[in-house]
Amino acid sequence: MTVSSKLSTDGKQLVIAIDERFDFSSHQEFRDAYSGVTNLDLTYILDLRKTEYMDSSALGMILLLKDHVQLYAGQLIISKPSDTVRKILEIAQFQRLMTIE
Amino acid sequence: MPKNQKLALVVDDSKMQCKLLSILLQEENYQVIAANDGASGVQMYIEHQPDLVLMDINMPIMDGFEATRRIKKLSGAGNLAPLIFITSLDGEQAFIDSVEAGGDSILVRPFSPQVFKAKIKAIQRISDLVEQVKGLQQEQQNDAELAEKMMSGVIEARNFALDKIGVIKKAATIFSGDIHLSALCPNGDLHILLGDFTGHGLRSSIGAIPVTETFRAMTKKGFSILEIVAELNRQMHTLLPGDLFFAASFACISEHEKSVYVLNAGLPDGYLFNEDAIIKKQFSSSHPPLGILPQLLPDVHLDVVQVSKTDRLVFITDGIVEARNKAGKLFGFPRFESAAADGIAQKDLVKSVLSSLDDFCENCEQEDDISLVDVPCSGWQPVKFSNKVTIPEGFTEEDSYFTREQKGLPTWSYHLHLTGKLLKTVNPIPLVMNQINDLEGAGEHWQSLYTILTELFVNSLDHGVLELDSSLKDSAEGFGQYFKERAKRLDNLAHIAINAPDNFVRISLKYFPLSHGGKMIINIKDSGKGFDIVNVLKGNSNAMNDGIKLSGRGVELVNQMCDTLEYQEQGTLVKASYIWHD
Repeated sequence: MTVSSKLSTDGKQLVIAIDERFDFSSHQEFRDAYSGVTNLDLTYILDLRKTEYMDSSALGMILLLKDHVQLYAGQLIISKPSDTVRKILEIAQFQRLMTIE
Repeated sequence: MPKNQKLALVVDDSKMQCKLLSILLQEENYQVIAANDGASGVQMYIEHQPDLVLMDINMPIMDGFEATRRIKKLSGAGNLAPLIFITSLDGEQAFIDSVEAGGDSILVRPFSPQVFKAKIKAIQRISDLVEQVKGLQQEQQNDAELAEKMMSGVIEARNFALDKIGVIKKAATIFSGDIHLSALCPNGDLHILLGDFTGHGLRSSIGAIPVTETFRAMTKKGFSILEIVAELNRQMHTLLPGDLFFAASFACISEHEKSVYVLNAGLPDGYLFNEDAIIKKQFSSSHPPLGILPQLLPDVHLDVVQVSKTDRLVFITDGIVEARNKAGKLFGFPRFESAAADGIAQKDLVKSVLSSLDDFCENCEQEDDISLVDVPCSGWQPVKFSNKVTIPEGFTEEDSYFTREQKGLPTWSYHLHLTGKLLKTVNPIPLVMNQINDLEGAGEHWQSLYTILTELFVNSLDHGVLELDSSLKDSAEGFGQYFKERAKRLDNLAHIAINAPDNFVRISLKYFPLSHGGKMIINIKDSGKGFDIVNVLKGNSNAMNDGIKLSGRGVELVNQMCDTLEYQEQGTLVKASYIWHD
């Protein structure tokens, strides 16, 4: 399992956590983590604290997640990326498209 | 033999066994051939290329293991005819040996006809799957080769000045999602693009053709690099699926302005090196890659930098800095920068970076496309000044100018009056050039006219309407400040709704055909306060002679290209005439 997801007990937060590598091989698992979730007003937290490597297809996957989040009027937060991953997010200027904390 | 009937080869020294297996196979709709020893089995395999082989182990002349090894060597990876050992040798060793020799399965006697047939069906199913996968693989390979051919042979071969631009391009799969383009603007500026589509292979190539077409067509028509980026973004947003995007760096290198304009949307830092290999400037990504947002962000801006002739602009994609060696270490920016610096010293940046990369990675598999462009900031096609007419002695002006139009009336005229917000949002020069091309046909002689129109229009807008002081541009710091201030004032202009028509620039053209060419009269009027014509022009030309001033080059250039150039109405009206000859 490279992707795990958990809905908080109050039902307001969905935390999607990624393992060391976030690349095309996690494509299906990543989609499965959120595609069935249709609650409105949900906060999606993409937890990248463990992730050491991320490629550009992972950036594409995040964009698909963002589309999903917007469709259900939710909010997307990218949480605690490592320095390497943060650098990749910054080169793509993702901080201007979503919240990174 | 009908195609759906498969051919089986039975190799067994017992004729009885051969007969028995043949009958069972025929019941399964196989055609059957038989051999009674290993050597002739191999021979028949070569002659008949069967779809299935049944092999006994203990046989005279050559045993089943050896025959199998030879058959498997012959069929290689390309063509799998499944091979089943039929044996009475029971036990683990026989099983292990048969797999070692290359057998795909083993069937131990005694077995019932039902078990035998089930085995044949199962192995045939696997073999069919392998065939299918191979077919798909071949198809994919063909597609990738086609895409590769299209990219290198058609798209990139048509780039401008390939001999002067250093290029590294190493694809991770056959087809690279990276693309580099160069094209010449009508005024002699050079447009450069280095881009990286998400992903690899054919999927990442969807956008390559529209990007190329748009980049070339808009450059040729005289659109600015920012206008081109905006259009490419719009196109990529419409065209690409949600998880695909296009990270790219763009540059406009203006030799006569001695400056470069750069926008990095999602690539690693670009570099400006001087001839001593010192990094003069790094261009960090300032905008998300193209295709993500429906429109560019409102604060998108170009970095404008003064350059000297010996500077070089270098763009890279992430494949270089993210290349890994056996220990899993990244090549990284410091290694890249030092390899690039060494390369500049040795006058071959590409070679130095490549060899440094090879030394570092040794023979590790390449995970991502690797691309680089290395572009000198001068040496491009000079704007042609040769269009001026030299009038032979004894040839009066009337003879030359108005041979067809006796009264000196233009054959056509054209006016464009832009006000308020449109001054920010519309670039009138491509519009005007399109009109001219439609009316008079395309031609190289319009290159100079394009430059004249651009320079004069920008002067009227910047110094007339926007009241910007060109002396700001005298220092390198002021240069950046100038462009910031310009963007701010244009924004203001766009927000004034009530008195919008008070701010305007009017471009008027009149065209007079000559016997071997033509004459264009250009009038550009602006709503500004004007300037002290005599002093400014005198100051400019003094400074030009001293070679110290960064501003005022535009007017000087226009002056060289025009037949006549004068300012009237306190500097709010400029009149130029441009003559060209066949």
